[in-house]
Amino acid sequence: MGKVLMKGNEVIAEAAVQAGCKYFFGYPITPQSELVAYMARRLPEVGGLFLQAESEIAAINMVYGAAGTGVRVMTSSSSPGFSLKQEGISYLVGSELPAVVVNVVRGGPGLGNIQPAQSDYFQVTKGGGHGDYNIPVLAPASLQEIVELTSEAFDIADRYRTPVILMGDGMLGQMMEPVEFGERNESELPEKKWATTGTRGDGAPKIITSLELNAEALEQRNHKLQQKFARIKENEVRYETYKIDDADYIIVAFGTVARIALNAINKARQQGLKVGLIRPISLWPFPEKPFFETRDRVKGYIAVEMSAGQMVEDVRLAVNGHAAVDFFGRTGGVVPTQEEIYQKLLSVSGGITV
Amino acid sequence: MEMNKRITILTGHFGSGKTEIAINLALNEKKIHNKIAINDLDIINPYFRSRDVSDIFEQLDIELIAPANRLQTSDLPIVSGEIYRVLHDQRYRVIIDAGGDKDGAMALGQYYHEWKELKPELIFVLNANRPYVSTFEGARDTIEQIEQAARLQVTGMINNTNIGFETSMEDIHKGYEFSSRLSDLLSIPLLYTSISVDIEKEASYFAKRHRVMFIKRYMKLPWEG
Repeated sequence: MGKVLMKGNEVIAEAAVQAGCKYFFGYPITPQSELVAYMARRLPEVGGLFLQAESEIAAINMVYGAAGTGVRVMTSSSSPGFSLKQEGISYLVGSELPAVVVNVVRGGPGLGNIQPAQSDYFQVTKGGGHGDYNIPVLAPASLQEIVELTSEAFDIADRYRTPVILMGDGMLGQMMEPVEFGERNESELPEKKWATTGTRGDGAPKIITSLELNAEALEQRNHKLQQKFARIKENEVRYETYKIDDADYIIVAFGTVARIALNAINKARQQGLKVGLIRPISLWPFPEKPFFETRDRVKGYIAVEMSAGQMVEDVRLAVNGHAAVDFFGRTGGVVPTQEEIYQKLLSVSGGITV
Repeated sequence: MEMNKRITILTGHFGSGKTEIAINLALNEKKIHNKIAINDLDIINPYFRSRDVSDIFEQLDIELIAPANRLQTSDLPIVSGEIYRVLHDQRYRVIIDAGGDKDGAMALGQYYHEWKELKPELIFVLNANRPYVSTFEGARDTIEQIEQAARLQVTGMINNTNIGFETSMEDIHKGYEFSSRLSDLLSIPLLYTSISVDIEKEASYFAKRHRVMFIKRYMKLPWEG
């Protein structure tokens, strides 16, 4: 298959199908409805099942049911609808069920609007639902990267028996780019011996639940989960850097904002200002290493986000006082321009002194 | 490329490039005619619609008929009642940019009585590099569904086959061959091929032998110059 021109939302859906996802439960919401529509058409073609649930809450619980049988399953939504799924996501974590949950973020809080935003960063990286947990979060910046990361999301989910979030902003969902669906790298994954597909006199009944009435036993389960999160932190960090080796200043941005920032960086470089980029691809686990490696030699970092300043907190934790950390953001669905980012660079660096 | 009729409606499958063609058509018509109105009837897309480039229309004195400003990003399937004014005013050249697929074409169905009288051109825009219209069956089904929802017959096709910024002449040839055969199969005339000005040079030989409209892209992403 050659290159095709697709919308970001369609790419997420097709990439999921190619990764072996045959079950989708969802409820439409702008700006991710094309994903739902594509699945409704596509899944019957591959012998899968698409079901439009009566609500986001119903959808996430259907995901819970399907995941319990060991199949690859996905749901998607946008910010307000994603909030509704939090209880179910916490149940998935507690029951150790793999699934992929997509959030195509829009302007908030509340009903907000349908324009692109990244202001659900706290929600996806710091828990979101109740209880002690973290979820691996992948944030693609291009439609081709969606293909790769959607596939990875399913693999990570199966490898650790845990839900994985794929997060993009409305622009990524709505924009069109050429993409190619190549051969997938099949990674070796553990057999799903826990799946509740019925016993055939071959052992004790399998039970999937997040309920544990005994306090000591629930603490033991929490220890087990924390060990799992520690393994994910060790193995599943993803990021990309651009010209950080000689950089005096480093912009930190993820998703589409990183692409805008890249232009501002190139413009600054042309003017003689040494600027680089760290683009976190996994938002949790947050990539600390590129900060540890640069924080004692750069003059400062600037986090650029479509939020009032959320990822910047993780940047500060990683930098830990070794260098200055600044922030530039736009909210409410306003997309920062490359000129704004460039101006911020100038003001932070004290301008160009060539 | 000039419009054959006073009223041209652009339909197509989802993401076929209707809106960019509508904008380019409006700009071309403005060079010849005085009063141009472009109607944004897109009730499907939340972003990248005619109304999102309203400043260009304003500069060029092209009337944009779209939901009121305060409702432009409301995510409601609304169309402006002002369309009737330009439909019946013979001085206007009218371009109607409908949303994609049958769902988008549904917004056209309500003007059934207008269409009976006004006999507009209904164009199907085809990008053969999009899912579900890269086969004859897929394209035919899409056209049939659009006709049913719009309560109109498609009178012409535009070959807009591309893969965005990576489009090569190979895509253009492939799309031309596909749409020519589709045109024969369905007896719908292929009006012309639209090609980005970015590859105008490479396309010059093709443009000598075939009808071509070179188009500029107006809806850009924040990192595109």
